[in-house]
Amino acid sequence: MASVRKTRGESLLLRYIVLGSWAAVCLLPILWFLTVGFRPRTEIITPQPIYWPNWSLDAWYLLTSDWPIAQYLRNSVLAVAGSVVIDLILAIPAAYALSRYEFKGREDIGFYILSTRMMAPAIVAVPIFFLFRNMGLLDTVWALMLIYAAINLSLVTWIIRSYMLDIPKELEDAARTDGAGDLTILREIIVPACLPGIITAAVIAAIFAINEFLFTLLIASTSKAYTMSVALANFTGGSDGVIYNAIALVSFLAFVPILILVILIQKHLSRGLTMGAVKG
Amino acid sequence: MMTQVPASGTEGAAYAAPDRPSPPLRRRSPALRKAFPYLLVAPALAYLLVITLYPGIFAIYQSLFVVKFNSWDWAGIDNYTRLMKDREFWAALGNTAIIGGLSLALQTGIALAIAYFAYRDPLIRGWRIIFLMPMLFMPSAVAFIWKLAFNDGRVISDLLMRVGIVDGNVDWLAHIWLARFTLIVADVWQWTPFLFIIFVAALQGQDQEIEEAARLDGASWPRIFWNISLPMMRPIIVVAITLRGIDITTMFTNVYIMTQGSPGGATETMSFFIYRQGFRMFNFGYASAASVLMLVMTVIIAQTVVKRAFHSGKK
Repeated sequence: MASVRKTRGESLLLRYIVLGSWAAVCLLPILWFLTVGFRPRTEIITPQPIYWPNWSLDAWYLLTSDWPIAQYLRNSVLAVAGSVVIDLILAIPAAYALSRYEFKGREDIGFYILSTRMMAPAIVAVPIFFLFRNMGLLDTVWALMLIYAAINLSLVTWIIRSYMLDIPKELEDAARTDGAGDLTILREIIVPACLPGIITAAVIAAIFAINEFLFTLLIASTSKAYTMSVALANFTGGSDGVIYNAIALVSFLAFVPILILVILIQKHLSRGLTMGAVKG
Repeated sequence: MMTQVPASGTEGAAYAAPDRPSPPLRRRSPALRKAFPYLLVAPALAYLLVITLYPGIFAIYQSLFVVKFNSWDWAGIDNYTRLMKDREFWAALGNTAIIGGLSLALQTGIALAIAYFAYRDPLIRGWRIIFLMPMLFMPSAVAFIWKLAFNDGRVISDLLMRVGIVDGNVDWLAHIWLARFTLIVADVWQWTPFLFIIFVAALQGQDQEIEEAARLDGASWPRIFWNISLPMMRPIIVVAITLRGIDITTMFTNVYIMTQGSPGGATETMSFFIYRQGFRMFNFGYASAASVLMLVMTVIIAQTVVKRAFHSGKK
């Protein structure tokens, strides 16, 4: 018994050293970047780094006066929300079929949908660029919406499918003997029962869409379609160099809502991130 | 382990069912019945085919031409033979493997360690939020954090000087391995949480009794971890690493913002190579040829590694 207590005590110390150090690695760069957002530009790129700045709201004034930040935010929200809606409309019936019906080619179709997640954006970048150019959709929010939806469709389908597999079959059988049709069952029973899965999928898809960079860079060439993610990379104000304090501020503006969303779905996060392969 | 999904579903159905008069029993033709699941997956499938198959065919077709603005000149397989002799292409492939491989190994190790120490801790919810934070920044923001810390703001150099490891400002873009190191740090910092979250869920989901029994038998924690926890987590680790590995091989944002491939192309990844050939030098045919080769590699990996990983994950 004594030896058990001893090993427990030792590993507790080690545990808090390990966890504490990693917490510092996570938090210190974030806190320091937060100070960057609230300092004047003269205190950012200096021969000696300044850790405790003279606080200022320069970046905020710059953002609100010089940059169409509201426009970028609107583009981001519109493209992301639209893409999630498209995904749900396409994914819910598909997930229903993949989880509830026996049909020829089911495994292959499921795997094909999964495998589109593995395609590097760079592989399809050139053709997609030409496709949208021919459709006259370059530099529009619509193009971003369509491409984000495509990127996340596999993920959304697989997450929802995983939650649907958990719903006991008896539920449907009861409704079916009552004479309910397949679509009624989907709408009235399956969708409400796997709502946590649908929400998880929507949140994770939204985060990936907000973060998307390469396609947005290629499709959006002016502030007409810039999203936050790409607008950030273009805050390099030409001869002024990179405007870090504004970048930092915008980063935190995007970070806070994402943090809140993720805390809300915390319990389902591991399952969502593995596309349903791990049940958390 | 069990989510509350089925429970809430039972409740909803129990309340919903008796209220409605039962509709007349539907009779569908056998043909429709058979086609029904296909009709359900068809829209999603069509959408994905347009966005993957069309680009695939387009890329194969375009890769057979030399494309300059709007003129397409037939080139046969010239683009491919050129690629095979292009040292930059092979360098990009190598860089992707080196940077991605080291980064993946590092974040797997760190994530396993912190997950093992955190999962039984009473403060796990707090740790989880803190460790998750780097992942919730936009990738472009993370790239700027580390660009500023390493290069423009000289913070890392300053800190290293204070500890006495270096004695002057380090130019992180001047040396091949230093530049690669900055990319690895940025990737590990942002994406270790992804693996951590999954590993914690896996550890919490495993049978605690076996571990407890081993502990009472006097086994040390490294042995318990190595001989009991790790083997039990294996299928989940494989899925997580596979997903992360796929994402790492597409690394673009950090390269674009932090290094632009310098010094001398030592940090140019495959994605950046394709981007540079296509959208900087406008060699669209050449870029497409590189895309096709990357696509072939992706399909091979998807068919072998990923298929197996997801099957073992589902058990």
